[in-house]
Amino acid sequence: MSCIYPIGGGKGGIGKSFIAANLGVLLARQGYPVVLVDLDLGGANLHTFTGMTHVKVGMEAFLNKSVKNLKDVVVPTNINNLSMISSVNCSMEIANLSAAQKNKIINALMKLPYEYVLLDLGAGTNYNTLDFFLSSYEGIITLTPEPTAVENAFKFIKSLYFRKVKQVLGQNDFKLYSQQVEMSSNALEVTSQVIDSVLEKDPEKGELLLQELKKFKFKFIINQFRKTTGTKLGEKIEKVCNKHFYSEFQFLGNVCYDERVHDSIFSKNIFVNKYSFTVSAIDLSHIVAKIQGNREVSSLHSLERYERL
Amino acid sequence: MSDFKKMNYYEVLEVPANASFFEIRHAYKEALSVYGEDSLSTYSLFSDAERDNLLKKIEEAFQTLMDEKKRSDYNNQLVKDGEVDPGDLLRDQNKNSIPIFLARNTLDKNSFFKKVKKKIGESSIQNLSREILETELISGRDLKKLRQAIGIQLEDIFEVARISISILKAIENDEFQNLPSLIYLRNFLKSYAEILHLDPEKVADSYIINISLLQK
Repeated sequence: MSCIYPIGGGKGGIGKSFIAANLGVLLARQGYPVVLVDLDLGGANLHTFTGMTHVKVGMEAFLNKSVKNLKDVVVPTNINNLSMISSVNCSMEIANLSAAQKNKIINALMKLPYEYVLLDLGAGTNYNTLDFFLSSYEGIITLTPEPTAVENAFKFIKSLYFRKVKQVLGQNDFKLYSQQVEMSSNALEVTSQVIDSVLEKDPEKGELLLQELKKFKFKFIINQFRKTTGTKLGEKIEKVCNKHFYSEFQFLGNVCYDERVHDSIFSKNIFVNKYSFTVSAIDLSHIVAKIQGNREVSSLHSLERYERL
Repeated sequence: MSDFKKMNYYEVLEVPANASFFEIRHAYKEALSVYGEDSLSTYSLFSDAERDNLLKKIEEAFQTLMDEKKRSDYNNQLVKDGEVDPGDLLRDQNKNSIPIFLARNTLDKNSFFKKVKKKIGESSIQNLSREILETELISGRDLKKLRQAIGIQLEDIFEVARISISILKAIENDEFQNLPSLIYLRNFLKSYAEILHLDPEKVADSYIINISLLQK
């Protein structure tokens, strides 16, 4: 079964596409078939990272129904085993997907015949981005060690919760419960108070809700890490999130700040290929090892389950 | 988001119920660095009211657990409520601090030197030393014989002179391939000879001549 890893994180310019492209290359290097999907529909530029200036076919063909199957809009890159679905040719209004189009994409993504499917999401917390992110239990949140990015990352997580809770409870119930919540509290606190009040008034449903939230194993990466950043920032965030949210959080690692990232984008060369032995490239390969480590553990668990049967 | 409401003080500070005061103090500092107002790791995660509550609870936990009397009252309450197993509260005796100089069983140098001096006074040892010094060439075996006659362990020499056991063994067994370079060897031999109350210069010279002959 393919592994879908959406890569998001509220703020813009924190390296979502950079992380997606480089993780893709590192996974492909090990011989796995990997596809990068550019889902930043209004601001697609993943193709530039992979050094492709002209993309003939992409997401637009799938959306306007000229191509029926999503796997037919996959184009190879000049890196072995690495393919991508670009959305550079999408129309100007494409960023505002209809719910039907969005569901069509999500369903098609599940069926892509690749070992790894990496989704590069746009900034912000609009419904499309959140739903793409929630299409997998193992979303990767990117942030940089700055208050603005940390703020947006937390906001992103809270928005995901808001969206998920609403989905699980259904529109009507959500309205019902949120009306009972004090009006004075701000929008971000509503989710947690709704969860609390569901747990209190309808423990069965509350339990179901918690079960659903517990399935998520969010991961996060701190990009543009600098020496001046306090050490253990990632570990601290991991701890806090595990304590105060209801899902599991895993810190995948820091990626050091490197001037040459700018240079690699300019030359339309993937960073880990152009500067394979820099600290940042090694950081990225550690992250890949961690992601694969997770997979091995989970496959071990599933084997155990078989044995028990 | 769940807060600290349902957690006991140990869970708030993330320490085991039998944590030492040192561990509690450390955990408290760690918690402040995470939940403090200017902490980047929780920036904007909590509203001001939420953060104040969290910090209040952390402070409460610290004040209670650092006070022997308050802590034991609190522990009793936890046991009564069935939150903590009494066995978990037993503190590991090893975790208490121990003075750094007691950590290793060090040799009492004064009594060691006294013992050696007394032993060397005996006539049989005197004869043995004289015998060794009178020979032209001194081998490691001679030194070893004297050392054992006096009743000194290699470990004792290590404690006094800080010469590693492997080098001492190489010296005593005349293993020239395992000996250190000449400048070190000379000084090691001198220290060794001093412990055995032999003339350091004479021992070092004769030993080195002997070993160089062996090498050839």
